[in-house]
Amino acid sequence: MKEITVIIRRHKLPETKQVLEELDYPSLTIQSVDGRGRQRGAMCAEMDSEMPDSFCTAVKLKPTPSSYALEHTLPKKALYVPKRLLTIVVPDDAVSKIVKALIKVNQTGKAGDGKIFISPVEGAVRIRTGEKNGEAIA
Amino acid sequence: MKMIRAFIRPEKEQEVVLALEGAGFPSLTKMPVFGRGKQKGLQVGPVHYDELPKTLIMMVVNDEEMEKVVGIIQDKAKTGFVGDGKVFVSPVDGAYTVRTGEAVL
Repeated sequence: MKEITVIIRRHKLPETKQVLEELDYPSLTIQSVDGRGRQRGAMCAEMDSEMPDSFCTAVKLKPTPSSYALEHTLPKKALYVPKRLLTIVVPDDAVSKIVKALIKVNQTGKAGDGKIFISPVEGAVRIRTGEKNGEAIA
Repeated sequence: MKMIRAFIRPEKEQEVVLALEGAGFPSLTKMPVFGRGKQKGLQVGPVHYDELPKTLIMMVVNDEEMEKVVGIIQDKAKTGFVGDGKVFVSPVDGAYTVRTGEAVL
């Protein structure tokens, strides 16, 4: 079993869910997270450009309190971009298929598309029935 | 690659993040979480707090950078009192950048 942790844009969530459903792996866990990548959150403004301008910048961006930044002479402000984090546990042989589909649906070509991480999972239990490992995620 | 999940005090988050950024690790994901540890929460007089707010910082780094990142987190998040948090490190088989579709971190 593998755990696929994928961090995506917020507005791509419905499409991603649809794609996973079509692949017959509908089970997933969704979390709202804040994060940033190699661009240090600088793409936040661009990412949120779809939001109306009436949205205050302070709502869209989460800058570090400036007092700390001044004290420590930072090269750039620390910004976070709101993202959705999905966790999917799937059998080994389905991983490449799912990763391909996730990339296809979430790719826009602009920075901020997100990351996909694949980690091994040692075991799983379905609480309702007590089924172990393979059957638990089937 | 290794996934580092650090449960730290929310008030230490800025310091940890800025130290990591200074050391060249700007990429991270954070989320607010609630939990308890070995001390079963916190007892202040007659009031017992079972679940305490923490910040979970998740980042994936290359194997050789893991020690350094954990060291920075430990150094900055430490106060010496109970509730400083935990750092968990787990293996990651692969990482993909969605924008390019490449299998690189």
